[in-house]
Order: sequence, then structure tokens, then C-alpha cells
Amino acid sequence: MSALPIIEMRKIDKHFGAVHALRNIDFHLMPGEILGLVGDNSAGKSTLMKVLTGAYQRDSGDVLVDGKITHFRSPQDSRDLGMEMIYQDFALCGNMDVGQNIFLGRWPRHFGLFVNRPKMYAEANAVLKRLKVDVNSVFQKVESLSGGRQQSVAIARAISFNPRVVIFDEPTANLSVMATERLLETMTELKRQGVAQVIISHRLTDIFAVGDRVMVLKRGQVVGDRYVRHTTEREVLELIVSGTAETALTAEQAAPKAA
Amino acid sequence: MSANTTNLSAAPRLNARLPMQLVGGWEVGILLFMAVLYAIGIYINPDFFGSTDALSAVLRDTARFGVMAVGMSFVIVNKELDLSVGSTLGLVATAFSIFYDPHHFDWSVGWSAFAAVITGLVVGLINGVLVTRLNVPAFIATLTMLFIGRGLVLGFTGGKTIAFDSKAAADHWFFGLAETNSLGFNSQILIFLGVAVFGMLLLGKTRTGYQTYAVGGNAQASQYAGIGTRFVRNRSYLFAALTATIAGLMNVAQDKGMTSQVGQGSELIVIAAVIVGGASIAGGRGRVLGACLGAALVVLIDKVLREGIPMVHTIDVDGIEMEVRTMAQLPGGAVQAFLGIILLSAVLIEPWAIRGGGAARVWARLRGGEAPPPPDRGEAAIVGAQTRGSAVDARSMATTGLKAFLGRRDAAAIILTVVLWAAGMALRPDFWGSLDNTFSLLLAFTEIGFVATGLTFVIANGDIDLSVGSVLAFSGATAAFLMKELDYSPQLAVAIAMLCGTACGAVSGLLAVRYRLPAFVSTLGMYYIARGFGSWLVAGRQLSEFSSDFNLIGRNVYDVLEGMGAAPGPGLFMLVAKAVSAQTLLMMLFALIAGIVLAKTPIGQMIYAVGGNERAARYSGINTNAVRFWSLVFSAFCASTAGIIYVAYLRSFNPSAGLGRELDGISSVIIGGGSVFGGYGTVLGALAGAAAITLIRALLSLQVIFPDGTSFVMPQHWMNVLIGLILIGAVVGDIWIRQERIFARLFKRNSASAGDAE
Repeated sequence: MSALPIIEMRKIDKHFGAVHALRNIDFHLMPGEILGLVGDNSAGKSTLMKVLTGAYQRDSGDVLVDGKITHFRSPQDSRDLGMEMIYQDFALCGNMDVGQNIFLGRWPRHFGLFVNRPKMYAEANAVLKRLKVDVNSVFQKVESLSGGRQQSVAIARAISFNPRVVIFDEPTANLSVMATERLLETMTELKRQGVAQVIISHRLTDIFAVGDRVMVLKRGQVVGDRYVRHTTEREVLELIVSGTAETALTAEQAAPKAA
Repeated sequence: MSANTTNLSAAPRLNARLPMQLVGGWEVGILLFMAVLYAIGIYINPDFFGSTDALSAVLRDTARFGVMAVGMSFVIVNKELDLSVGSTLGLVATAFSIFYDPHHFDWSVGWSAFAAVITGLVVGLINGVLVTRLNVPAFIATLTMLFIGRGLVLGFTGGKTIAFDSKAAADHWFFGLAETNSLGFNSQILIFLGVAVFGMLLLGKTRTGYQTYAVGGNAQASQYAGIGTRFVRNRSYLFAALTATIAGLMNVAQDKGMTSQVGQGSELIVIAAVIVGGASIAGGRGRVLGACLGAALVVLIDKVLREGIPMVHTIDVDGIEMEVRTMAQLPGGAVQAFLGIILLSAVLIEPWAIRGGGAARVWARLRGGEAPPPPDRGEAAIVGAQTRGSAVDARSMATTGLKAFLGRRDAAAIILTVVLWAAGMALRPDFWGSLDNTFSLLLAFTEIGFVATGLTFVIANGDIDLSVGSVLAFSGATAAFLMKELDYSPQLAVAIAMLCGTACGAVSGLLAVRYRLPAFVSTLGMYYIARGFGSWLVAGRQLSEFSSDFNLIGRNVYDVLEGMGAAPGPGLFMLVAKAVSAQTLLMMLFALIAGIVLAKTPIGQMIYAVGGNERAARYSGINTNAVRFWSLVFSAFCASTAGIIYVAYLRSFNPSAGLGRELDGISSVIIGGGSVFGGYGTVLGALAGAAAITLIRALLSLQVIFPDGTSFVMPQHWMNVLIGLILIGAVVGDIWIRQERIFARLFKRNSASAGDAE
């Protein structure tokens, strides 16, 4: 490997009671790369990402950011290092408006005491512009928005932190075709700005449209890793269904074979 | 070894295991605990517990609570709660007594009992419809039914005792059911056994029971599987009401009459019994047998606490030593506090000791070993972006003037306040606008306003505080007790009382946050505990006539200024000063600060964020536990302040202080734009709601003079009924008008959801 990965995970193990959710997983993500994380239900995709962001604590193994070992105790810790996760259900407060949601938990202040509303709404507008999404007004309550627009707000929230890594958990599961198209454009835009992204998804089409690399998990183990340009949807599907940890190849190992 | 084996060597093993499987370890534990408890009872009070009468008395009293526990099991297994069973019992007893009593309707036993059963079923049906059809949270619906039921009992009986001993003598077949039978034990025990066996079979062996477990375990999955979840939940409420009806009839049969207090507080014993019996407040778990044993255990605890310990004091009278026999006894109110503590402990056992591995950790620490870490909780993947419609808000953004005002969530409260005040003016123009009336209106407003201000924070972040009225009483009682009995200075007494009251909030907050009890459960426990301790402090004492420094809080501004030697001259200021009391000013200042914090600071934003979507708030780095904890503490702080002011104004303490204030407070917040599901509510709205509630109470007790000179005052007994109806109306209105936009949907179905489709 030439450059230093922005994120590396080594030999991650995680149990939930009797369930062995993750076994001995190695993972890496390069700067500006879009990685698709695929696998059947309960393959451990979301769990792996939650271990990465600190929502779950790993039993053993190392998480390295910029080559340094880290111990995140909560998602807040990983956010401080520029990692953002966008949850499947967007994790927004429906009773609050768009501006308040973009600044959820870190509302700008006046005199260190009051919420600085003018500043909050102005910056919220700027972030939405940067993302090129059309939300009617930053004053609109989030619960009155459609699913696609709610997701735009969630993404706007994530990128307003100027993250280096964005993790999407099943981003297209609740979206219409049009909204999916727009989301993929947004991802390309983020990639152009140098943001590394992980997409957890069932839909291979989306990953093959924008992704650089795809990693397949099965029952808590890595069963394959391929560059998108060297593989086909069919091969990835085969890995999902019948791959085993013993026959797993890394993207580099697989590259010459396909080339 | 196969399951259908006839192998002889297998038979003994099966037999040995069968009782455990049938009974379960939990039930065996309860039985053992009961045996120990009874032994303690015999040890501390051999006169009572040593006799066979005691055993039959315990069993007889268990019978009624056990019958109710059978019905309550269904409700709790369904992940619901029914706080109204005690009132249902009272209502049933009232219905039977009024129809049967020769001085009222003088019906036959059969018809009276029939009317009583109908009454009970109607209550159950109302509960069921409110909860399952109108989506009112169970604790709000049934708590309101508790107060409405109590109010109806008082209203119908006029607070008097009804007795019909002579007529009852002729109907022995019915009243004999509550007496000792020829086998030497009370027939109520037989009824209890019958109901318990029926309930066990129904819940454990039939489709009805399996449906109940399924709905409690996962209502959505049950719905998808084709179970009519609403029907099942509704049915459980009917069971609960039906068993309360049976218990009510047992009660009138035993007493051959009734008092207006019958059944009061029995919901606490019944719920505690079911939880002690192994049911989970999180639904889906619980057995009738456990509930019945739980009832026996709780009744036994109640008896042990109430019977007291006989003591022999040796006192020295003029050099002659005399032995005096007394009973060290807990006052009635204190028993309630202990039962509340038992309820909370029982609720805690399941999430803390069993699922959280708490017992294992304590055990490991005792042995000095490495404690296993608390397990990560796998979370449900989709909670769902909470989309309870605020289309009203979205629409009001674009409008101006009157329309914008009507779109505000607190519009109803403001309009209601104005209309009610005008109504009072129209009914009694000579009195309503007077200085005296304004002064007393503002006083009443102050107490409700304080409570509502604190509740706004709690309700906005999605919790509820049912204990405010009890905390009010507890802090008031503490202040009164310290000043009167221990001669503390007013300042110190007030400080300690505030601390005690606020500590109640800290305890329920800790239980809600650290041990993840739903706030309505932890504050329900506190509801009984705080009131119990409060009445313990004041039991048998006359607490009044405090020092005059203290009483200044309760006076109007004019008196205060006069006391300081700065009385204002006549004029408008004097009028205002005479109408406004010191505590009203205090409350206004307090509410102003609270309102600014909620509306303008990040603290307020955090509260709304937690109320809107707790998980989202947590992911965005908000310490949601701290937000919820401090909100509950703040609510208790407000209630404590109200308690101090109550004592200061009345110059005495009455144990019924703050009774039902939680109803007023919650109503105020909901009318003022709050939502029982959290995320909404402003201090201004809550104050407007408090004003509306104050005016409603004042109007209901207003003496209306008709043109022909006659006058009419509504009996006070009916007050709680109406306040309860208003709360239910406000909650239902909030859910169906503000959130589900029932009118908008009815009038323009086509354009309702077209706006945002993508």
C-alpha cells in the first residue's frame, strides 16, 4: 500500500452476549475513497461502523486514524477527529426546524448564554447551498419534510462539521428514485472535495455507480474485497451468498486476476 | 432421553422437575419471602400474628387485591398500566350501594349488582377507548380516570357513608359471600381462588392469553400477524375493570355499606403486587400466579407495617417506676410511602438485576473479583424519523395577523383565559372584578403556575412528572414540621424543605436516567413515597401559627411594604399592590427566567431536541441523561417552592395539600401547547394554561345569582370530575387536532398530504 490510510482497523472482535458479531476484521479506508460495505442482514456492517465511531466498544483489536491508535468512547469523540455517521433514520428532531437540526447540539451562542439565531440560520443556509439541495426554508419544521429532504438535512448537518470521513448507513433504503439520484450526485460532490465515504448498502447498483471499492462481510467476517473497476455485480453477489473467510482475497490480490 | 419415553428411570426425574416448572423460581422465592415475613410478624407482634385470625384476615384482604391483580396482570402484560382500578372499585361500590340502599332506589340485590357490573364495564370501556382508539398515553388516561372516579364517588355519595345492615340481613345469599363459611374460612377466599384459576387458564393456556403476550412483546409484529392489537388491549382494560368490579362487590358485601374512601390507593397495592409477582413494566412478561402471590406478599407487608410493634415503656412518675404498654405504629400515610418504595424496587429488579447483570456485578465485587462490564445494548435499528405533524406550524409561518396567532400552539390557552374571565364577569359582575377576587385568583394561579413551569421542562423533553403534587405536600410538610416541632428558623426550615423536595426529583430522575425506568413509573413511585412521608411528618400534629417573618411570603405586596414601613399612598399602585401577592411576583420572576432559558438558550434547545428525538440528540453529542435528570430535578424544585408558599399563605399545613395538582399542572402545559409525547411546550403557554385552569376552578365554585334572587353553587365534590374531563379533553384535542389535524383531514381530504410528496 502506497499512501497512509485515513482509517485502519485491525483484528476487530465484538460480542453481543452469546452472539459473535465481528470476528477478526481488518478494514482500511483511503482519503477521498468511496467504499461500499455490503453483505447480508446481520453480516455486521452497521456494527463494524458503530465500533469505528465509538457508538459500540470493541472487545479487542485496534482502530487507527491517520496511523494512530484511538479509543473512542462515544460518537462525539470520533466526530472531533472528523468522522460523521448518517443514520438510516437520519436521527433528526422532527419538532425542530431545519436550522436548529443542522446545528443540533452545538447551537451558536450570543454572549455565551443565548442561542444566536441570525448566525445559525445564515450558516445553515450557506451549508445547504454548498450541498446544492433545495429545502424551502431553514425555518421549516423537519417533520413536515419528505424523506429525501430529511436526508438532505442530515447530510447538511454532517458536512457542516467539515468532516474527512462520512459514513452512510443504508442511505437509499427510504428514498425515491429521484432522491437517490440526487444523493449519488451529492456523494460525487463530496468526493471531489476530498471526503472519504463509506456506504453501507444492500443495493449494489448504487455502489457500482459511485464507489471505488467494495468490501463484503458475512456473519461477522470479511469474505472479500474488490476494486469496483475490477469486479462485477455478479461476482460481488456470489461473494455475499457463498464467500468464506478462508477464500477471501484483498482488493490488491484480486486486481491482477480480474485485469 | 426422548420426550415421550415410558422409561421408568426417567419418571422420577420428570416428577421432581415438574413443580419447579409449574411454579417457577420466582414464585417459590415469593413464598419463601412471605414465610420469613410472617415469622418476623409473629416475632414483633405475637398478639396479632400469632393468632389464626391474623392468617384469615391476611387471606381475606388478599382476596380482594388478588382478584384485582388478576385483571391488572393482563393490562401490564400488554405493556399498559391501569391506575384507575381503585376508583373503579369505589364507583362500583357506590353504584351498588345507591341502587340497593332503601333510602335511595331500593332495588333488589340482583339488579343492584347488575347496575354495578355495568358501571365497572363502562369505566373499563372508557379507559380502553381513550388508550387504544384515541392514543392517549395509558398513565394519563387512567390517572385522570382515577381522579374522575374519586370525584364521582364523592359527588354521588356527598362524602357520606351508606349503610344497609338491616336490609342486607334479608339477602344472606349475597352478603354471606363475604363472611366466614361453614368450613371455617372466609368465602371471599373461594371467590379469589376461582378468579385466579380462571385468570391463570385464560392468560396461560388460551389464545386470548397468547394474544395478550404477543401484543405486549411486540405490538407491531402482532399487528402484522393479524392480531387485532387494539381489541386485545381494550379487552385487557375490560378485564381489569371487571375484576375491580368483583372486588368492589366483595367489598360492599363485607361492609354491608360503603364509605366514600373505599378502594382509595388500592391501585398502588395492585400494581405493586403484579410487578412483585414477576411481571415486567416493559410488557410481555408476567403470570397470574405470580401476581396472586405478589398480592398476598404486598398485603402481608401492608399488615406488618400497619399492625405495629407492642412496646413496654418504663416511665418514672414521682420516683415510682411504671410500665406503660404502647404500640409503636406507623401512621397510615407512611405505609403508602413504603409500598411506593416496594413498587419501585420491584420494577428495578428486572432491568437492573436480571438484564443489566447488576446482581452479578455486586456479587463479583463482594468476592473481590473482576466485575463483568455492563453489556452494550443492541438498539432497534429504526426508531423512525418522528413525524408527528406540525403542519399547523408550517402553515402559520407564511401567514400574518390573526391567522398567525391562531396557528400558535398556545393560542387555545390565551383565548380560553380571556373567554373564561369574561364569563366570570358576565355571571357575577359585582364580585368577579373585585380586588378580593383578583387577589385570590392570582394566589391560586401562583401555585398552579409554579408547578406548570417546572412541568413544562419535563414535558418538553418527553418525560412526565406525576409526583409534583406529592412533592409540593412533602416540602410544605417538612417546612411546617421543622418550624413548629423543632423550632428551626424560617430561613433554615425553608432551605431544608426545598432541599428535601428537590431531592425527590433527583431520586426519580436518577431512576429514570440511570436505571432506565420510564419517567411515569419512577415519578408514580415518588407520587406515593413523597405523599406518604409528608403525611407521616404531619400525622397527629397541629402544624400552624408560624413566625411572622415567614408569613410575609403569603401576603400581598401592600402588606409586605407596610411591614417594611413603606406603604404606598392611595392610587393605582396601591390597588395593584393589594391585588398582587409577594409570591405572585416571585413566580412571575421565576417563570420569566425559566421562559428565557427554555426559549433562548442552548439549554432550552437541548430540551426540545431530547423531546423530539432522544437518540438523535444523543448522537449529536447532547448529554440526554443530564437533560432529563435536571428537568425532573427542576420540576421538583418548582413543586417544592409551591409547597413552601402554600404553607406560608395558609399559615398551616393540611395533608391534602397539592392533591391532584399534577392534574392541574399537566393540563396547563398541554392546553398551553405542550405535547404529552414531548418536543413542544413553552413557559408562556403553560402560564396561560395555568390561568385557564385557575379560572375554570374559580368559575366552578362561583355562586351564580339568578335574576329572581335565587343562587346556585356547584358542590365542590364535582370539581375533580370536571378538571379530569378537561385534562382528557386537552390531551385528546392535542393529539387529534394539533397533531393529527382531524378537522383538516375531514374537510379537505384531497389536499391534506399533497404538499411534500416526492
